[in-house]
Amino acid sequence: MSSVYEEGENVGLHRFALFTASCTVFLIFVGGLVTSTESGLSVPDWPTTYGWNMFTFPLSKWVGGIFYEHGHRLVASFVGFLTVILAIWTWLKEKRRWVRWLSASALAAVILQGVLGGLTVLFLLPAPISTLHACLAQTFFCLTISLALFTSPGWKRGLPVIKREAESISLQTLCAMTTGAIYLQLILGALMRHTNAGLAIPDFPLAFGRIIPPFTSDKVVIHFAHRMGAVIVAAMIVWTFSRIARFYSDYRLLYRPAMTMLVLVCIQLTLGALTVWTAKAVTPTTAHVATGALVLGTSLLLTLRAYGMVVVKVPANFRGAL
Amino acid sequence: MHKRLLFAFSSILLLLLAVSCGGGGDKTTELPPGAAPAAGGGPAAPNATATVSGKIAFEGTPPPNEKVQMSSDPYCNMHAKDYPTLETVKVSDGGLENVIIYINNPPNATYPTPTSAVEINQENCHYSPHVFTMQTNQPLKIKNSDATLHNIHAFAEKNPQYNVGQPVKDMVNETKFPNEEMPLPVRCDVHKWMGAFIGVFHHPYHTVSKGGGSYELKLPAGKYEVVAWHEKYGKQTQMVEVMDNGKADLNFTFKADSKPTD
Repeated sequence: MSSVYEEGENVGLHRFALFTASCTVFLIFVGGLVTSTESGLSVPDWPTTYGWNMFTFPLSKWVGGIFYEHGHRLVASFVGFLTVILAIWTWLKEKRRWVRWLSASALAAVILQGVLGGLTVLFLLPAPISTLHACLAQTFFCLTISLALFTSPGWKRGLPVIKREAESISLQTLCAMTTGAIYLQLILGALMRHTNAGLAIPDFPLAFGRIIPPFTSDKVVIHFAHRMGAVIVAAMIVWTFSRIARFYSDYRLLYRPAMTMLVLVCIQLTLGALTVWTAKAVTPTTAHVATGALVLGTSLLLTLRAYGMVVVKVPANFRGAL
Repeated sequence: MHKRLLFAFSSILLLLLAVSCGGGGDKTTELPPGAAPAAGGGPAAPNATATVSGKIAFEGTPPPNEKVQMSSDPYCNMHAKDYPTLETVKVSDGGLENVIIYINNPPNATYPTPTSAVEINQENCHYSPHVFTMQTNQPLKIKNSDATLHNIHAFAEKNPQYNVGQPVKDMVNETKFPNEEMPLPVRCDVHKWMGAFIGVFHHPYHTVSKGGGSYELKLPAGKYEVVAWHEKYGKQTQMVEVMDNGKADLNFTFKADSKPTD
């Protein structure tokens, strides 16, 4: 096992990437609060805040919706700052070129994300820009998780070798499909939030008292698509978990995130229902956004680990010997 | 190699910091120019010598207005007692206030744009007036009399969107709406309870019901479709015909349990 670089630096960079990813979850939660409290335009200018430099805006003026919007901008700036440090650190110390480029991608994403956030304020929250802002937030979160994983000592020591007979759909493919489905579902969720379609179908579990609602508007279509997406994602997660619980339960690097993902999706479904039942109360609605990000992050982690583990395919009649 | 990288990253940081810096908080913003003319190129506006007046009556027990929670801003909270609820349904002497009354079929004419400004004031975290009308391209003065920040956000669909911050007490902004829009909702995103409605017309035949639900419209002679619009109960329409220097009574009745109409 050859070390890529000094052990101390290695752990430090990994921990810093982990910290950045954790702060990103918090940032997504705060961003969700801005939308849930409808505070997105309470600060009408950007990058200034009511004409002040955003970093010198007086604390006494953080009132009403400004608290959420300005708070979001500051947390975002902090995450941006962390990403700059992460990128510099990675470029200086990391020997794997692709990891360096991954950190540069994270930096580019966070800069673009900041610009999109500003544009959505200046153009008064147009749905395409706001939705893109929400989707890029999830993409950036995925990049920080990937960086945290790839810089971890465990990843660089090499993940365990798994011996399995050939499967019609490999574990790697199944995990990737699940992650893709979750990402698509988050895009639908963002579209629903930013087109104000969250209550387009006001009842749950039925839709206007029926299983299939009358598609009277685009908002109903978007909302119903998100509900159908939830069913598909939940099924994919159960399928993935079942596969891992049955064949890979000895590998805690797979089993733990699979179990976490299963628990998170149950919480997420409950929060989705609560969002409708409480007519988009701030707490469940915002928690629904943040938990969605956590489901995606966990699934991505599982997928990357599944690809990182070397799977040796053996014939079926050798199975008993494994 | 490392020096070049550090230089590149430092440049990005400096650029971000520079972009985030701004001047003071006392700018005045206006809508972009390019406004449409106030009216079509018809003949000169006829003399409005007839009077249509009446009462917007309210039947039933007024529904309670939504309570206002101002604790998110200490300044506003000091005035919370003055405005414990929204002003959605305001009834006095059996009449409904804040109803916009206007005609749907004004004579085809070129109506001069008033040069005098209409004013909306943000005072004690409350819009005054709550409902008002104005003409297209007429100046609208927006004043902040509060020692707290407000943003005034017009949710326009037929006019350019408008969202301006007023962080300083006594700050005044001026804007114009080039297109007819009825209603044009206004909201403060900082203080969610603050809302107002504007009726923007290319003609001068519009007003808002006052205390007791009374109103008066000055019109040229003719037959008109008169509309009464309320933010909760929607529209009602009646026809009226008036002669030069004539008078007509025209009353509307909104019921407490009636469903809103478009």
